Amino acid sequence: MTAIGLPAVLVATLLPLLTAVALVVADRFPTAPAPGLSRWIGGAAAVLTGLATVATVWARPEIDLPWIPALGVRLHLAVDGVSAPLLLLTALVAVVVGLLPWHPPEHDPPTDRTAPLPPDPLEAARGQATYHACLLLVLAGAVLTFLTRDAVVFFVAFELVLVPMWVLVARHGDATRRAAREGAALRFVLVTATGSTLMLVGILGVATRTGTTDLDRWEQLGGSGAASGQVLLAALLLLGLAVKVPVWPLHTWLPWVHATAPTAGSVLLAAILLKMGVYGMVRLVLAPLPEGFATLAPLLAGLAVTGIVWAGLACLVERDLKRLIAWSSVAHLGFVVLALAAGTETGLQAALFGNVAHGVVSALLFVVVGELKRQWGGASLDTVRAALREVTPRLGFALVLGMAAAMGLPGLAPFWGEIGALYASWAPGEARPTGWFRLFMVVAAVGAALGAAYAARVLREVWAGDRTTPVIADVRGPTLVATALLGGAVLGLGVYPALLLDLSADSVASLLAAGSGGGR
Amino acid sequence: MNVTVQLGSTWPVLAPALGALFVLLVDVVRPRLGLPGLVLAGVALAAGAAAAGPGTRQARGDAEAAFCLDTGPCLYRAGPLASGLQLLALGAAAVVLSLAWSQWRRVLGGSAVPVALFLAATAGVTAVPAAGDLGTLLIALELATLPVVGLVALEQRVGRVRVATGGAVALLTTSLVSFALLALGAGLWVLATGTGLLDGEAARAAVAEPRVASLLTLGAVLIVAGLGYKLSAAPFHAWTPVTYAAAPLPVTLYLAGVSKVAALGALVVLVLAVAPAVTGTGVAIGLLAALSMTLGNALALRQDDTVRLLAWSAVAQAGWVLLPLTALSARAVQAAGGYLAVYVVATLLAFTVVAGVAHGGAGTALAAHRALLHRRPLAAAGLGLALLTLAGLPPAVVGLVAKVVALRPVASDGTWLLALVAALNVALGIAVYLRWAAVAAARPAATEGPGTGEQAATAEPVPEAPWPWPHRVVSTGLSLLLVLGSIAPVGIW
Repeated sequence: MTAIGLPAVLVATLLPLLTAVALVVADRFPTAPAPGLSRWIGGAAAVLTGLATVATVWARPEIDLPWIPALGVRLHLAVDGVSAPLLLLTALVAVVVGLLPWHPPEHDPPTDRTAPLPPDPLEAARGQATYHACLLLVLAGAVLTFLTRDAVVFFVAFELVLVPMWVLVARHGDATRRAAREGAALRFVLVTATGSTLMLVGILGVATRTGTTDLDRWEQLGGSGAASGQVLLAALLLLGLAVKVPVWPLHTWLPWVHATAPTAGSVLLAAILLKMGVYGMVRLVLAPLPEGFATLAPLLAGLAVTGIVWAGLACLVERDLKRLIAWSSVAHLGFVVLALAAGTETGLQAALFGNVAHGVVSALLFVVVGELKRQWGGASLDTVRAALREVTPRLGFALVLGMAAAMGLPGLAPFWGEIGALYASWAPGEARPTGWFRLFMVVAAVGAALGAAYAARVLREVWAGDRTTPVIADVRGPTLVATALLGGAVLGLGVYPALLLDLSADSVASLLAAGSGGGR
Repeated sequence: MNVTVQLGSTWPVLAPALGALFVLLVDVVRPRLGLPGLVLAGVALAAGAAAAGPGTRQARGDAEAAFCLDTGPCLYRAGPLASGLQLLALGAAAVVLSLAWSQWRRVLGGSAVPVALFLAATAGVTAVPAAGDLGTLLIALELATLPVVGLVALEQRVGRVRVATGGAVALLTTSLVSFALLALGAGLWVLATGTGLLDGEAARAAVAEPRVASLLTLGAVLIVAGLGYKLSAAPFHAWTPVTYAAAPLPVTLYLAGVSKVAALGALVVLVLAVAPAVTGTGVAIGLLAALSMTLGNALALRQDDTVRLLAWSAVAQAGWVLLPLTALSARAVQAAGGYLAVYVVATLLAFTVVAGVAHGGAGTALAAHRALLHRRPLAAAGLGLALLTLAGLPPAVVGLVAKVVALRPVASDGTWLLALVAALNVALGIAVYLRWAAVAAARPAATEGPGTGEQAATAEPVPEAPWPWPHRVVSTGLSLLLVLGSIAPVGIW
């Protein structure tokens, strides 16, 4: 461990937590902090968290403290090849979220009963500090989820993001109706909490089998012991995690929540929270229960490709741009899950890479669409608007880049994930039915073509054309920096994917070797 | 038969009991003694807690024993878990006392009767987890219940008397039914094992013989049913919403916090006795647990009054306390005790905030909590922490860990159906508690949209009276406990 390792990991985990607490507390005093001040504090803390996370990945420190002795739970934080790419993604998203400005939530439209009062400036300021606190809490939960090496702490960190996301969607969501915001927020919490409790039951079952909650031990013991119970435990865990990923048919909460969340909330949700589900599948199912996972893999892959086609078709008819992006997330995560289910080294690599690539692309698209929705006053594609090509070239370029990436064009990040998924599905691992997986590959390829179709549709309706009214402002300042960072990442990972692939290669190989070695 | 009396071990029970006696004696000499009565009661509780404290640090398997027969078994046996439960009961009782005192003095003029009843009931509660035989268990349970009936009936505020009498009658009736079931169960137990001692050996011997085994199982199930009343587990929960809503708030607090310890204590004693032998009891407990949490959560979702909501939440949480006990093992019992401790602290905190808001004149309706976060940030933070703990959501990590602990025996037993019901109930419970939290965190009525404006207008309080200091101290203290428990959940399990 180098000298900066320990401070880096402490800053990455504690700084967002403590800043969030400080902001929430400061918020409750009669004189809440000025809006500008809380924005600065929140933004700076988020950016610092991102930098500290990068330093953590670089220095690879390790912390191991007892936390709940009676349960044998330890605060064991470490970085390995599987978590490193996701931590880097979290760092990037932290910086982006720190840069994104806050916009006051829209109030319910005036009704016949009482004329709404103009928003109280003090209330607005309060809202802003809490908003930044919630963003930081989600970041802290994400960093902790990816760092921890203990299954129970993983579960706690997994749940840590729920309440802040609930506040973000219910309070700061951009649906115009309060009922819609609160409905979406509650649906998010209830559905994902059910999923994670099922996951908890699975975790406790595996912990009983292995006698420990240490994820490293789980990996080493992978596959040992009786195979009979593996399928049931793997089913429980996969069911719980599939809600979070989400895998069709458990995806229904996602489009609604995405369409309602504020821009930064959508970015966090798409780029980080969904990734926790895939990460959980690798850590909690693939590593400790290889045989159970292999048994269920065809079913999981089938659901994933169904989701790819289903979401692709939905994207072709969806009339709300933000919801369309959310649907495309379901399709992209279908590729990730398909690659994971294939069970080969290529598949796992493609899954991890596709996971990160989708995070970057969806973050970019949500930043762009969030900006558009705010300026348009809605995200419906039915309204005739000015062509982005004409009025906002920078925003237009970002949209083209994001959509081209969503199409899976070579040279952009998601290409490698999707092509890897298709390849892995063509040649799946042992104990998987090759015929089925080849069928899945064909269906997924059709889904990829659907992706090209809906991306072209969006570009035709929003970007192309020669209307120049109503004029909207192009993206500037911090949002432009955030957009540029994400766009750069999409290009960079597309041109030089080895950056991430090399990072995770060793861990992937050892993870699969441990699983197959113990299992056979 | 010789009995070795080691009275020194029984101080956790003796202190509140002597306190009750002493308060009554002093009352004869100097009626309406006011503050000294409070001090006496406080000292009695503190003495009991001081005596129970060291017991919690015993090694597992050791016990503070008293009234030991020369054949070996003891009628009073407080192991580390029993001592922990005693400590929990005494601490919760101290909280209730500090909140109840001003009301008792104002309404009852400082009479010694409620203090004596309160101390007597507490003595009963502390005796239950240490009971070593069925006789002691039954007497202690009744001692824990009957004085509370008196406390409920002692409501003298104008307009509340009839309601309170109804609540007291409901409590009395159910406790009599419960006692009947317990007595019947105890009778069958004695018939099956040939002894009134809660003895694992005797139970095992009885199980070996098939005809006797069914008798023993029936007895155990009847005892569990009787205890279900005390724990307000469904389908024995009917009295809970009625009595909670009718009793004066501090007494409700007592029912929700302290009395639950007695019910769980009795279950612990029973489970430890039958653990090696009887399996049918586990199924019965599992059914009760699943039914309670589902029914409690579903009905709590519909309540518009905070006290009724907490009453139904008590039914649901009783299910969670019972959940680990389905495994019928020493570790499961420990888990149930830990869950109960977290539940008691969170519920006491929520009730303290409810009482504080009601003290301000706003009543106990859910609408009275609207925008509490803007009026009383500290109290609302405490309430939020309590609700999140009950829901099991971070940042209240202690509640989440409690859920982990409660689910662990079920998962390791492989009772997947029950685990599934519990998982769905986590979501239901979150819906219940977040609904309340959302009301408390809502913006003040002026900036909100239609629909809620009407409710809020009626609830808009006249300039609120400041909270009495005990409420503030208690809510701060309990909040700190939960925060500490969330940072380092150590020592509960």
